[in-house]
Amino acid sequence: MQSAQATVKAVGLPYGVRGILPILLAIPVIALAQWLLIGLPNGPFVIYIASIVGVNLILAVSLNIVNGMTGQFSIGHAGFMAVGAYTAGKFSLHAKDLVISHLPAAMSDQVLFLFALLIGGCTAALCGFIVGLPSLRLRGDYLAIVTLGFGEIIRVILQSTEAFGRALGLAGIPQWSSLFMVWIWAFITVLAARRIAGSSHGRSLWAIREDEVAAEAMGVDTTSYKVRAFVVSSFFAGIAGGLFAHFVPIINPGSFTFVKSIEVVVMVVAGGLGSTTGAIVASIFLTLLPEALRSAFTAISGNAEIAQRVDQIRMPIYGLLLVTLMLVRPQGLFGNRELWDVIPRWIPRRRRAA
Amino acid sequence: MSEVLLRVEQATIHFGGLKALSNFNLEIRRGDLKGLIGPNGAGKTTAFNILTGVYRPTSGNIFVAGQWVNGAKPHQINRLGLARTFQNIRLFRALTAIDNVRVACLAEASPLISAERLDAIRQKGGLTGRLANLLDSANDYYDWWRALALTPGFQREEERLTRRAEELLKIMGLAHRRDEEARNLPYGEQRRLEIARALGTRPKVLLLDEPAAGMNTREKSELMVLIRQLRDQFSLGILVIEHDVRLIMGICEEITVLDYGETIACGPPEKVRSDRRVIEAYLGDSYLDTHPEVEQAARR
Repeated sequence: MQSAQATVKAVGLPYGVRGILPILLAIPVIALAQWLLIGLPNGPFVIYIASIVGVNLILAVSLNIVNGMTGQFSIGHAGFMAVGAYTAGKFSLHAKDLVISHLPAAMSDQVLFLFALLIGGCTAALCGFIVGLPSLRLRGDYLAIVTLGFGEIIRVILQSTEAFGRALGLAGIPQWSSLFMVWIWAFITVLAARRIAGSSHGRSLWAIREDEVAAEAMGVDTTSYKVRAFVVSSFFAGIAGGLFAHFVPIINPGSFTFVKSIEVVVMVVAGGLGSTTGAIVASIFLTLLPEALRSAFTAISGNAEIAQRVDQIRMPIYGLLLVTLMLVRPQGLFGNRELWDVIPRWIPRRRRAA
Repeated sequence: MSEVLLRVEQATIHFGGLKALSNFNLEIRRGDLKGLIGPNGAGKTTAFNILTGVYRPTSGNIFVAGQWVNGAKPHQINRLGLARTFQNIRLFRALTAIDNVRVACLAEASPLISAERLDAIRQKGGLTGRLANLLDSANDYYDWWRALALTPGFQREEERLTRRAEELLKIMGLAHRRDEEARNLPYGEQRRLEIARALGTRPKVLLLDEPAAGMNTREKSELMVLIRQLRDQFSLGILVIEHDVRLIMGICEEITVLDYGETIACGPPEKVRSDRRVIEAYLGDSYLDTHPEVEQAARR
């Protein structure tokens, strides 16, 4: 697992800078990307799709910390996303008329938005802690069952609570989200996942995945490591939910079903369990695939109704894709390696020697 | 006399009706090199599993570094200074050699709340005492935060850790395998890597479960030298399970012999070698009756 040792390479940067530099670099790049995309003729649509991609990327990369690096099988990620979405959404509904004094209105909104996200993320993390603490003591498939149950419980609670709008969901959440916010968080998620993977904590997670008994014998407190991985993963799922709630017109329990959880699992498995770049590539590809199919169908048939149906056959296509992938490449796209470890292997040996 | 690092008093464990180990006694001091032998299924590995916390003994007491550890988890016992290797190699197969060792070299974290303060809170007992565990997990989360933010202190710690792991690889003659995945190493090197990994946890006592299994004669004699060298260099107490009688008689100062979970002999190699019950256990009593010369030869 080369990824584990590919920490931030000693590039001669002073220690104090290495922590913050990637984010400082990412801010202007993402801001520029947003500015360019807004200028496009169908800008709002592109930005909407790009935001969805970003949210799915956060979900896949964060789930990979639990399913890929730690080797536990969680299938309730949509539940944590829902917790984040509803908590952040509820907060914003109450806070949307507030203006923080001495700040311009737009700025004040963004500060409140950030607050809402963090509240959503932390609530999801707390749920992760509560769900994880008892279930991560067990081995094997128990976590899958418990997380599946958790996801359903959350959905049912949302569906039957007046305060959360029952099946209608929450409407009127201020549309504070921007491409910039989504992608900064996506960047932070990737950075966090990579830093965990390259740190001693990440190595302990890999060790748990490889051999739990040996890890325990080497002084790794496996239960609490698993819980911590689960908490971090749930936090980012909550953030993804919070972002989602602030750019879609309405959130309802239908957006956070078991199908959504499976979608994320498929992204992680397809990308290769344990590979962060694999999760990134797979989440981008699998989110854009139905969109691409839809526009392709529209272009060919000129009939929007057929295109609508593409959405309905998305899950069968996912399933087919997964079956094919498991037959051809059971370890996923990149296995447990990262993009930069894999690419050189694909280049024929002869050419590498030359 | 040097300090007692590991003491086992009358350890017994039942699995249903089966007595896998009964009244097992053992004491290991700093600098000791002891052996544990017995025929297949005699309870040797069960003894290891009790010592390391994989099983909880049905009765009896185990003390590691003076602390009573019955029912403690394996990782807690490891932290007290007891490390082991496994009979069937259990490396982290997909991790590189250096990462295998680094997992064991747990960082000496600079925590949010110091251990002394936590102990002080624990001493208060009651609900406040229980709060200490919660505060301790705050330490762990703080350390994760340092990893995420890549604080300078964390980076320095990681470098220290890497240097130590590299040193251990060098001692075990594996420096050239640093970035090789563990599963790709030859068998003998995998065994050595397991020892390196165990040493990473800074043990006081090292338990080696059949370290020479599958090695050829030359590798075995190298291993004998190495085990002695490790004991002296790290001032360890070492307990070895081994089937190779020549190896274990050659290095151990005291040998305990198990058969059907019972301790049938304990003492220096010469004494154990000539013990009638040991020969019986290995060769069968009918064999001894028909071949009296074996016992006589052993006595000589």
